[in-house]
Amino acid sequence: MTTYNQDLQGDKKLGFVLYLVGELVMFATLFATFFIFVQDAIDPTPTEVFEARTVIISSVFLLSSSGTIHFAEKAAEIQNRKGIAIWLAATVLLGLAFMGVEIHEFRTYYHEGFTLTQNIFLSSFYILVGLHAAHVLFGIGWMLLLAIQLNSIPSSIYGDKQKIFSYYWHFVDVIWIFIIVFVYAPYLI
Amino acid sequence: MIADLFGRKFYMASDTIGAWVMLTLTAILGIILITRAKKWPIIREYATTTHHRKIGVLYLLSATLFFMRAGIEALIIRIQLAFPDNNFWVFQGEKFNEAFTTHGTIMIFFVAMPLLIGLMNVAVPLQIGAQDMAFPYLNAVSFWLFLAGALLVNMSFFMTASPNAGWTLYAPLSTDTYTPSAGNDYYIFGIQVSGIGTILAAINMIVTIVRHRAPGMTLMKMPLFPWSTLITSFLILIAFPVLTIALYILMFDRFFGTSFFSGPEGDPIYWQHLFWIFGHPEVYIIILPAFGIFSDIISTFSKKRVFGYGSMVVALAIIGLLGFMVWVHHMFTVGLGALVNTFFAVTTMLIAVPTGIKIFNWLFTMRKGVIRFSTPMLFAAGFIPTFVMGGVTGVMLSAAAADLQYHDTYFVVAHFHYVIIGGTVLGAFAGIYYWFPKMFGITLNETLGKLHFWLFLIGFHITFFPQHFAGLNGMPRRVYTYTAEDNVFVFNFVSTLGAFLMGIGTAVFVWNIYKSFKKPQKAGDDPWNGRTLEWSVPSPAPEHPFENTPQVVSHDPVWEAKLHRDGELPKASESRTAPIDVVSWQPVMLGSLMLFFSLAFIYHVTWLQVTLGIAVLGFFVVRALTDEHTKKAKEDQAHDNV
Repeated sequence: MTTYNQDLQGDKKLGFVLYLVGELVMFATLFATFFIFVQDAIDPTPTEVFEARTVIISSVFLLSSSGTIHFAEKAAEIQNRKGIAIWLAATVLLGLAFMGVEIHEFRTYYHEGFTLTQNIFLSSFYILVGLHAAHVLFGIGWMLLLAIQLNSIPSSIYGDKQKIFSYYWHFVDVIWIFIIVFVYAPYLI
Repeated sequence: MIADLFGRKFYMASDTIGAWVMLTLTAILGIILITRAKKWPIIREYATTTHHRKIGVLYLLSATLFFMRAGIEALIIRIQLAFPDNNFWVFQGEKFNEAFTTHGTIMIFFVAMPLLIGLMNVAVPLQIGAQDMAFPYLNAVSFWLFLAGALLVNMSFFMTASPNAGWTLYAPLSTDTYTPSAGNDYYIFGIQVSGIGTILAAINMIVTIVRHRAPGMTLMKMPLFPWSTLITSFLILIAFPVLTIALYILMFDRFFGTSFFSGPEGDPIYWQHLFWIFGHPEVYIIILPAFGIFSDIISTFSKKRVFGYGSMVVALAIIGLLGFMVWVHHMFTVGLGALVNTFFAVTTMLIAVPTGIKIFNWLFTMRKGVIRFSTPMLFAAGFIPTFVMGGVTGVMLSAAAADLQYHDTYFVVAHFHYVIIGGTVLGAFAGIYYWFPKMFGITLNETLGKLHFWLFLIGFHITFFPQHFAGLNGMPRRVYTYTAEDNVFVFNFVSTLGAFLMGIGTAVFVWNIYKSFKKPQKAGDDPWNGRTLEWSVPSPAPEHPFENTPQVVSHDPVWEAKLHRDGELPKASESRTAPIDVVSWQPVMLGSLMLFFSLAFIYHVTWLQVTLGIAVLGFFVVRALTDEHTKKAKEDQAHDNV
């Protein structure tokens, strides 16, 4: 770490955590919107829309990706580039798999007639879960960008870049847990 | 006149044509003048800079520009209201709605905010002994996003589609059913883009203040302007994302056919909640920094340490906290029930307590002080009684039962102009006079400054004091005319006279800036006999202001050094790494991209949305591959290997 500066990296980490605080408020507002408009939902009600199977599959993919990114981080700490590459690739694949299931889910809903404008419950569902999906997609792009840089930049700075990414990815995962608990679970159990 | 653009027809009234002509002439004149004076390199320097002082200047410059635009709108509004049954030019009905909407929106988001953020940029890093903001590049991005948003809202007028649903954009009026034209889309995208910039600026401020203070400057030794900046930044960080989502939801209503805020299922009251959960903290976002500025100025010009420093900090924090618990006082007439109204009435009244503490502390700071009434101090002295009057009407409004009478009348208009102009605008003027030497190395002319102060302050009271009575006589806000029988003519007429006096005052301010550059009076490093760290560095503040990082041992370190150390600040044994400044066109490019991306949405041009969307994402790639930290690390590594 002689070549890279701890002070500036600390700034970045704090700054990014603060950014995530802002994101948290944004998602909290969307959750509030969902709570308000889900109560009087008719035609369809949430129970008529949600399917447990897709939620479980997509959750397995996304939640396990928090583990793989953690291993990538560990690999970065001991500057094991091969390990980083493997775990990063695993995370990308899991992210893509999640996106695949989610797109499938939305398409199924759509064909059943459960569209964005059908009622406000569905509108608030789509804008919340859709924004989360956009975050996952952005994260996948970010990981590809990290992969490109893996061999071309000094490993200490790469490690820090990846650390900030894993803050983001864990955050996206935590939001997904909230989505499972507050959006899907009450109407599936 | 009709113009055809983007497959839409634009009907132009004479005011719009006039504005286009003026804009074109000004632009041509500007280009000629800049070329003749050979100033293009300076423009390039500012467009590509990431230095906090220059970015601060950019904020202040754009705020002044927008202040003039929204100020002219205010004059138009006042002329239209000067006489009963008046018909001034085209400003009746819909045009009048547009005028007060953009006046309010621009004044809040593109004048008050950038004035304060600009001063923070100039002063805060210097006051805490930092070499720059923590993220210089991000700082530039914040500014250009802010400007892109500001330009969007400002250009709507030229595109004959001004927002027209009031600055609060209340639903369902703001949904596409009732206002189908592009006006409110300009509002949504303009505020959204600049809002993102503001959130990023707040993050930058927090990290700077938390991590870049000079050694020895504990939080409780920090001057009060950085303190107010810190608390304000947290308010921004919590409040602005709510607005972001409110606008996001409204965008779905207007663009993608949802009906969150209208229709049989939707709930327009929900918009009011979202807007005011943001909107009330916003009020404190624009007043707390002004409190900080006044605290520093009153202390400097009274030659005394600020009275009750600890209680000042606590009061700031309590105001910030309570600011999130009072939003329903904007909605007393909605009918949320007696219990809800009572709760929010009490929390609102509570805010008077910490504010009162601050007022008394300022007065006690002046007591037995050696007071000099230079221009910044004049503004501070004018602020105290003005703001107290606004505070008193605020407590009156917070009584929910009484508010049913005041609500939506000119009484409210008078109240919020008393606090926003009396607080924020006077604070910003004070700050500009105070820190002008740090920005440009020259002082503003004192005589013109005092003239500016007296014209503006007297004009202000003549304008807004009668509006209380117009409101009590029953004049609703946001109406474009009244009849002679309404018994409000005299109040309105006097108010209009006052508005022109304020206009003349502002013109003196602009003239002062021009004159001061024409015949520059060089300011020393410490023109006001200051107390805090910014007065220990050269004027204007250089790129690397602190040659040696100072060791802070007390409050008011520069003053302490003058008293006990012959003006020499003790040097710190070690210092932290300075942020990396760069010269880059990227931030201004991103701002322009966001501007056109928003326009593609406003005018529903799908292919352009996709293209520019990809370009915005591509920006992240470019940034990641060219960032200065990686570059520096690479250089260090190469250096180590040699």
